[in-house]
Amino acid sequence: MPEVPGLQSAPSCWTTMCQDRVAHILLAVGPDLYLLDHAACSAVTPPGLAAGVSSFLQMAVSFTYRHLALFTDTGYIWMGTASLKEKLCEFNCNIRAPPKQMVWCSRPRSKERAVVVAWERRLMVVGDAPEGIQFVLDEDSYLVPELDGVRIFSRSTHEFLHEVPVASEEIFKIASMAPGALLLEAQKEYEKESQKADEYLREIQELGQLPQAVQQCIEAAGHEHWPDMQKSLLRAASFGKCFLDRFPPDSFVRMCQDLRVLNAIRDYHIGIPLTYSQYKQLTIQVLLDRLVLRRLYPLAIQICEYLRLPEVQGVSRILAHWACYKVQQKDVSDEDVARAINQKLGDTPGVSYSDIAARAYGCGRTELAIKLLEYEPRSGEQVPLLLKMKRSKLALSKAIESGDTDLVFTVLLHLKNELNRGDFFMTLRNQPMALSLYRQFCKHQELETLKDLYNQDDNHQELGSFHVRASYAAEERIEGRVAALQAAADAFYKAKNEFAAKATEDQMRLLRLQRRLEDELGGRFLDLSVHDTVTTLILSGQNKRAEQLARDFRIPDKRLWWLKLTALADLEDWEELEKFSKSKKSPIGYLPFVEICMKQHNKYEAKKYASRVGPEQKVKALLLVGDVAQAADVAIEHRNEAEMSLVLSHCTGATDGATADKIQRARAQAQKK
Amino acid sequence: MAAHLSYGRVNLNVLREAVRRELREFLDKCAGSKAIVWDEYLTGPFGLIAQYSLLKEHEVEKMFTLKGSRLPAADVKNIIFVVRPRLELMDIIAENVLSEDRRGPARDFHILFVPRRSLLCEQRLKDLGVLGSFIHREEYSLDLIPFDGDLLSMESEGAFKECYLESDQTSLYHAAKGLMTLQALYGTIPQIFGKGECARVRNGRRVPPDPMFCFQQVANMMIRMKREFTGSQNSIFPVFDNLLLLDRNVDLLTPLATQLTYEGLIDEIYGIQNSYVKLPPEKFAPKKQGDGGKDLPTEAKKLQLNSAEELYAEIRDKNFNAVGSVLSKKAKVISAAFEERHNAKTVGEIKQFVSQLPHMQAARGSLANHTSIAELIKDVTTSEDFFDKLTVEQEFMSGIDTDKTYGYEHILTLYNLEKAGLLKPQTGGRNTYPTVRKTLRLWMDDVNEQNPTDISYVYSGYAPLSVRLAQLLSRPGWRSIEEVLRILPGPHFEERQPLPTGLQKKRQPGENRVTLIFFLGGVTFAEIAALRFLSQLEDGGTEYVIATTKLINGASWIESLMEKPF
Repeated sequence: MPEVPGLQSAPSCWTTMCQDRVAHILLAVGPDLYLLDHAACSAVTPPGLAAGVSSFLQMAVSFTYRHLALFTDTGYIWMGTASLKEKLCEFNCNIRAPPKQMVWCSRPRSKERAVVVAWERRLMVVGDAPEGIQFVLDEDSYLVPELDGVRIFSRSTHEFLHEVPVASEEIFKIASMAPGALLLEAQKEYEKESQKADEYLREIQELGQLPQAVQQCIEAAGHEHWPDMQKSLLRAASFGKCFLDRFPPDSFVRMCQDLRVLNAIRDYHIGIPLTYSQYKQLTIQVLLDRLVLRRLYPLAIQICEYLRLPEVQGVSRILAHWACYKVQQKDVSDEDVARAINQKLGDTPGVSYSDIAARAYGCGRTELAIKLLEYEPRSGEQVPLLLKMKRSKLALSKAIESGDTDLVFTVLLHLKNELNRGDFFMTLRNQPMALSLYRQFCKHQELETLKDLYNQDDNHQELGSFHVRASYAAEERIEGRVAALQAAADAFYKAKNEFAAKATEDQMRLLRLQRRLEDELGGRFLDLSVHDTVTTLILSGQNKRAEQLARDFRIPDKRLWWLKLTALADLEDWEELEKFSKSKKSPIGYLPFVEICMKQHNKYEAKKYASRVGPEQKVKALLLVGDVAQAADVAIEHRNEAEMSLVLSHCTGATDGATADKIQRARAQAQKK
Repeated sequence: MAAHLSYGRVNLNVLREAVRRELREFLDKCAGSKAIVWDEYLTGPFGLIAQYSLLKEHEVEKMFTLKGSRLPAADVKNIIFVVRPRLELMDIIAENVLSEDRRGPARDFHILFVPRRSLLCEQRLKDLGVLGSFIHREEYSLDLIPFDGDLLSMESEGAFKECYLESDQTSLYHAAKGLMTLQALYGTIPQIFGKGECARVRNGRRVPPDPMFCFQQVANMMIRMKREFTGSQNSIFPVFDNLLLLDRNVDLLTPLATQLTYEGLIDEIYGIQNSYVKLPPEKFAPKKQGDGGKDLPTEAKKLQLNSAEELYAEIRDKNFNAVGSVLSKKAKVISAAFEERHNAKTVGEIKQFVSQLPHMQAARGSLANHTSIAELIKDVTTSEDFFDKLTVEQEFMSGIDTDKTYGYEHILTLYNLEKAGLLKPQTGGRNTYPTVRKTLRLWMDDVNEQNPTDISYVYSGYAPLSVRLAQLLSRPGWRSIEEVLRILPGPHFEERQPLPTGLQKKRQPGENRVTLIFFLGGVTFAEIAALRFLSQLEDGGTEYVIATTKLINGASWIESLMEKPF
């Protein structure tokens, strides 16, 4: 705070002001006023301040921070805007004694300005009028400025001083002819069964003011504290409504409800004497919060039910608050508290058992918290709290129950840090779903842990796969790869997976062999399949070695012939192919020879083999090499309908005309027979 | 607009609008100009929900793909990361954020998790020291994405693999969540049927591939979630009558068969991704005289395939052999329509003709495209290779022995296939396939490809087992096939979700039931075609809306199960 010039001792008076969300301090030093903020101190002068002031004794800012009142040592009161730009009015009370208190007394949106000044036994209301109003105080009193008036407390009394609301004034002013006043009168006469009721009513209706009259009565009822008076005003409003066609009923209904709530809380057992304006300003939600803070749960719930508030905002919220209080009752056992809470709350929508449990945990009742969490249907809420309470294993089973894998992972990583490795693994062992999720995690993040997990479970099959993966990914050198495969084969044997074990051993043998081939012949052999190794050998002219390899790996004869045939054709080594074809009787027949030669566009070679194709495939072979005429002869000779159709479909235009005719004739003949 | 989503019995545009609204609300939370950094995998699915124009309306000025190191420069107030909840992506995001902080003017960072916010990922961001940099961290529950008027997919690639190889039920959890979202929009589904392990719980009768494998499945999760959601009592009149949860594991056979419908073949040959297909451009070159075909386009032709295109809607589910005749008929109709112009004599007639032009031109463009696609497919289907493959397939189905060899590098894949139930070592025991085939009439010899009378037309003979199960459930009911259901893997079950009396449906006579059929682990286009065929049967009694974890074909499915060690 900056320095204030001339400030030697405590200021005679000061107050805080608030403008545009910035707080200032107004402070009086002798005849001077200073406005301070966090950086600057400036002298200010209220406009139109009477002369002769040598010090300020009291200052008051209104409830809304809009107005300021200053009381000087001359008994003069200045009233103006808090910005100190405008004077509203002034008053001289001629009392020089410093007042005990000075506060503003005003009503929202009212044009009247009034300040209440209190001395030991005297209270004075002053405003924009030549005269003030004086009251005598019987006891020491204290003033509390509020939204719409001033509360006056003493040892034995509690009073509320406020500007009379417009509606009340209109109705109750002596000899008032306002529509509301007339309606109230009319209703009273009606109860007396007097015809005057009709006269009053007519008077209002002639002026067309019945709606205003009803409205005034409703409004005035709101400002009454005395239930009998509220009732008589509401009765008048209800009476007037009978003579109106389309008067919307909600203002009346709402006022009845509001008054019922207000009367309930004003009861001395409860002791919240709110005015109607204050209640409306606060809203029902805040009022309920205050009731809850005072632990007036039954009343709060009754109000919610009476006003039919949605459960989530109303009853559920209060029950949850009640439960949060309930868990703090240390003298009641965990079981009883949990049961009591569940009995009351049940499955009430919108109740968060986890919030209640968190509160229980907050007061050190972990067991109770766990019991309460059992009632929480949302696992997403259960799990984090259980973790916080270090009940990780329970959290884990809850997470698994929910099916939400993200929750499970969260608990797992938590557990991993919390437990030692052995305990962690043991925990996983009993939770298969968590275990498989953790395996996935390890597969991407911690490969070594994965191996340990498989080892622990004696899961030899997966261990085998793990080593296979390692033999491809982790190992560069051939010795390393073979060693990894050996480990894999051992694991596969333990898993009783003969197929995989044998395949792995074959692969090891193949790798070693390929390595040798690379050393001896050069070129690339590693990681070729057996078939490709054989093919590569044939392509590089190593027929002997190829055949040896085929024997070693028990490649069936048929397949070896295919491999050789394909490789030799690729080389276009027709001589070798022919030699090969004559080496012994082909186990795959000779049609493949024809096909492969044709694929290489060598019709000449193809024809050589076509003649050797067995009778069943002869037609197909002949057609392949384009010998339609001979194909037709064979087909006719076979008397095979399908073959004849096939040949026919190959007959093209003029060149094969004769052949086609021949087949047609043979067909016709066959049909005759 | 996505009008084609509202053509079906159930208006799926409601779902699309709901997810769009959620996206807009999130974007508006981050006030000011924005750049979106995309997890690349999500761009396809998002394209079906929101085009760039929607993002632009909400001040998205730049879009990047999530990559390591620094973000490209962008003069925007907000940077939004849209990502799947994966740890490796969190590392990249952290790298981006840290380098951006060093660069200069402070930005507002946000993160949108699709489809679920993850504690695990947030913990990782915290460990990397960037969690505090994000103002909004939210989730965008894009589980089921509407693909067509009767088709929803989660486009979750690894669902089958995760469930059966890794015992990871994440995608099942998302499936259950997706079903809850559907129920929130379309009412509680009164009756749930299911078949298969993932559909319900594993029971002890069958030894599962992994003995440690045991978890709660979709139906159970749904029922549990219902309890979590109490408080928002569902008061929507139910649109769906039944939900059928089918585990892919029940029918491992169908996806392996080559699909022979038009759409199925497009997928088999070119692969349809998020309703788009990329085709070789040569056939689509604009035929203009003069250029002499100098500049053939080199970039693949990208086409969107859905029922918004009238012609495609008509031919997509036909057997390919029936497509040609439709195309040539259409060609005649269109050229006849263009010939009309010679008859237009008066100004009024000409005006009338001109007003129809745009529609006619669109139809002609569509016809040209599909004629080209059909030619491309024909080149494949008439090839010897294709014929051989089909023959082998049919031999497999009829149980003829074949001899196969594989290199050692496939040993892990073989084990995966065995674990998933696709391969079985021959250990004797009775072969139950003939019983299943006969009871369920899986092989039909007399198939009418042009005017089908049975679902087997989609594979020219083989009737997909999964769809047959659905068909028999609707009529006469599963009680008639109890024996076969016991042979097929996994339990079958039925569950009722009670409805308040006011919401119970009284069906009008002749009104079809609506069944939501959810394929856990993937569905093929041919199966979808078969279900659409059932929906359209006059006396079928049931219309289907299809949901799945992923649209698959044999190749993409096996690919997802393969493990290449190098």
